[in-house]
Amino acid sequence: MHYFSQAFNYSHPWSHVVIGMWHKYPNPHCTHVLTVDVLDRSVDPETGVVRTERILGCKQKAPSWITKLFGTEDAYVREVSFIDPRTQTMDVTSVNLSMSQVATCYERILYKPSPSNPRENTVFSQTAEIQARLHLWRTVSDRLEKWLAERFEQNALKGKLGFSDVLRSLWENNESQRMHLQ
Amino acid sequence: MAHSLTPECTPLKHEYDACFNAWFEGYLQPAVNAASLTDEQRVAYSRQKAEEYEQKCGKVWESYKNCVQKAVKDKGLEDMLAEATKDDPLLEPPVQNGSS
Repeated sequence: MHYFSQAFNYSHPWSHVVIGMWHKYPNPHCTHVLTVDVLDRSVDPETGVVRTERILGCKQKAPSWITKLFGTEDAYVREVSFIDPRTQTMDVTSVNLSMSQVATCYERILYKPSPSNPRENTVFSQTAEIQARLHLWRTVSDRLEKWLAERFEQNALKGKLGFSDVLRSLWENNESQRMHLQ
Repeated sequence: MAHSLTPECTPLKHEYDACFNAWFEGYLQPAVNAASLTDEQRVAYSRQKAEEYEQKCGKVWESYKNCVQKAVKDKGLEDMLAEATKDDPLLEPPVQNGSS
């Protein structure tokens, strides 16, 4: 099992980050994400929580031993998110659908206002567990887990760069205007 | 905007996404501010906005959903999705700090 975790601030208010989530793809840093579809969405009339279930289609350049073993570069991810405006929490869980009998990657992301500057910054905290299934031949499963973990870290970095750009272009004018007005 | 699973669904997806985004952008900040209201006022706001979403985007959502559901079937993703949903329906957020 490989664990991965990181946390950092986006220098945008929580509501801007959450609105930006729906504009994250496509972006040039994350060309591995090809398709994004909403499978289900509900707005809870009591709590105001928005639940969204999506399927993301990705294409990964994989080493040939992986494509030979599993025969595909297409990978699909199920993502379920909850946006709670009352507590200002966005909670995103993602699990791989493809190759799930071979390996699982379970990712959880929380977006919350930064405790030190809740009006202007948003904390992003991410944890992931990557596990190759044990019935694989041990050395293969170790190599696979290692490759998936490395790939996850690379994509996490690309996601950060890509989303930062998206947020900047989405809000730059708006936020600098607001700063001037204050 | 990103593409849909199949090109046939992409125009409907874009139409639906645009509708949702417009609604959501009007919804979110007042909903955040509503945290300081009474429970009753907050629920009244949520109800009104949930209805508004249904009115504005319900129709295009139905068309888009039908298209995507067919695409999911055609791509052979239906079983994988059903399996994942059975494992973890995620009807509510996972318990905090539950992973790792």
